[in-house]
Amino acid sequence: MTTLTDISSIKKRAILFDATRCIDCRACMVACSVENNVPNDVTRIWLAGDGVVGQYPDLDRATMPYHCMHCEKPACASACPVGAYTKRPDGPVIYDGDKCIGCRYCMNACPFDVPHFEWDRGVDEHPIIIKCDLCSNRVDSGGEPACVATCPTDALIFGDRDDLLKYAKERIGNYPDRYVHEVYGETENGGTSYLIISHVPFEQLGLPTNIGDEPVSELSEKIMEVTLPFAVGWAAVLSGVTAGVRKYHQKQAAESAEETEKEA
Amino acid sequence: MKIKIRVPDWMLSPGVMTLVVLTLLGGIAAIVRFIHGIGAISNLNDAYPWGFWISFDIYTGVALGAGAFTMAAVVYIFDIKKYTPLVRPSVLTGFLGYAMVAVGLLVDLGRPENIWHMIVYQNHHSFLFEIGICVMTYLTVLLFEFLPVIFEGLHFDNVVHFFHKWLTLPLVILGVVLSTLHQSSLGSLTIIEPEKLHPLWWTPFIPVLFFVSAVTVGFAMVIFESEMSARAFNRSIEIHLLKDVASWIPYGSGLYLLLRFGQLAYEGKLGLLFTSGNYTIVFWAEIILFGIIPIIMFAQKKMRESPDGLLYGSLSVVLGLVLNRFDVSWIMLGGRIFTTSGYVPSLPEVSISVGMVAASLLVFRYIALHFPLFVEEEDYHDQHVAYREASQAGD
Repeated sequence: MTTLTDISSIKKRAILFDATRCIDCRACMVACSVENNVPNDVTRIWLAGDGVVGQYPDLDRATMPYHCMHCEKPACASACPVGAYTKRPDGPVIYDGDKCIGCRYCMNACPFDVPHFEWDRGVDEHPIIIKCDLCSNRVDSGGEPACVATCPTDALIFGDRDDLLKYAKERIGNYPDRYVHEVYGETENGGTSYLIISHVPFEQLGLPTNIGDEPVSELSEKIMEVTLPFAVGWAAVLSGVTAGVRKYHQKQAAESAEETEKEA
Repeated sequence: MKIKIRVPDWMLSPGVMTLVVLTLLGGIAAIVRFIHGIGAISNLNDAYPWGFWISFDIYTGVALGAGAFTMAAVVYIFDIKKYTPLVRPSVLTGFLGYAMVAVGLLVDLGRPENIWHMIVYQNHHSFLFEIGICVMTYLTVLLFEFLPVIFEGLHFDNVVHFFHKWLTLPLVILGVVLSTLHQSSLGSLTIIEPEKLHPLWWTPFIPVLFFVSAVTVGFAMVIFESEMSARAFNRSIEIHLLKDVASWIPYGSGLYLLLRFGQLAYEGKLGLLFTSGNYTIVFWAEIILFGIIPIIMFAQKKMRESPDGLLYGSLSVVLGLVLNRFDVSWIMLGGRIFTTSGYVPSLPEVSISVGMVAASLLVFRYIALHFPLFVEEEDYHDQHVAYREASQAGD
């Protein structure tokens, strides 16, 4: 249970996960279920990674509690047709189940495959998307996220994103042999509020490694922006063509009528 | 006294009965889905949130309905009156296709009762929002484009006159604009998935490719639908018109091939064409069905003027397009992170889509038999009167 920054002075909330400290106890998952008042199998955190890796006696553990990365530029929020997702300026990406229409485009759009759907609920049971909201309610009233509060080994640390980044880099600098020399989430998809440092390659933790630094939503939004001007222009062109063709046909008809008159 | 019981003709037709049964089966599956959830009948899962329904009901339904706006554009925007007889069936096909899209969407949405949220909570960054608005509006436009046929059948001549004088042209232009937008934007939905869609299919130029292929398949659908209904209703087909439509297809397919290979070359992906294993095979299947076969077939006058040539040529375009839409929206969305479990659609899942197609065919059949759907330019009224008298005489 550690918060790096004084909670009241946090500008951008973030969580740092240190994979070397994770002991695969899954207390974070239980805490998450309790906090959100859902059964254990409806988790917002799930355990990712290869588990025990290597050959005896050189064994290692690669596990990670996986949940929403809280991107700076979230693809889910860009994709959602009804704006059910909001990126709060102080970090969390939150989801409003009352707005949701259940189209599941967010699940396709999210490069980290975070949103899950309640497949076994009928229409009158209001199925929603399951996704971590960085315990917004707890944090708003001065607490830390449930998973962080419960983590017995300080593998999860809460704080301001800039502070956590600095701290993560310090740790890597202090123990260069122990860590991969990179903070996952610093630049991925334009940066995230879930930061990860690890002793094993990130793909062994189950993280996607094919994600660029440019947010996936950027190109999509750029193309979307020209859509409306294009529609207006296209409507004008089509109207012009319609009028022009008609005029041309009328002129042709008049000319051929004149010719028949002359011949007669 | 003997009571005569008359069995309606349609009940005796095995084809119609099959369609009725398929519709009912699909309806039952849909009811189970609404009560117990999408997971109860489908194999969709967190790794494959979109599957057969989206690929077939939405992507395929929208593309195959493209004939409605392409034929309307030919006849009303380019003012080529000769092709008027092809407009009505294609608008009806389009309307039924889009109605299937709407019903399919209600089945696929987790919370269909919230569909109106698209109108109130607009997210202007989302291509899906744009598609939703376009499809809703366009479905209404198609209904209004087709209503004159119904009014004509009911002999509301003033209303028909009013439609033709004031509404048809603006509706057609609006319809073409809306179609251009959402046909292309269905492709644009994948732009946000660069790390998921296979690089042979992912490209920022996808809206252009989708639009060109939609226009092309629109013409193919006009031919295919005409061929099918000719066989179903024992009509003769309008070869003198369809042969022209067929002659346009090689231009569409050719332009598509040019753009497709141009895009791959521009993005430096030509190498992938030969090194991607199964992906390579699927890619070439698309190209051959959608591009090469129709270009070769419809370049020949003999093929354009034979009913079989028209049927198989247009079918090839349709199959190539369906394969492309399935690839883009489902099959080539690989690279899932959390689960290695695949997705194969379940039987009830497919049965809902099949049921909707069957229902559409029944509606098409009903309208074809009772309203002036297939008409020559001038004599539709006489023909219809003759048909009515004939059917009344039959009673």
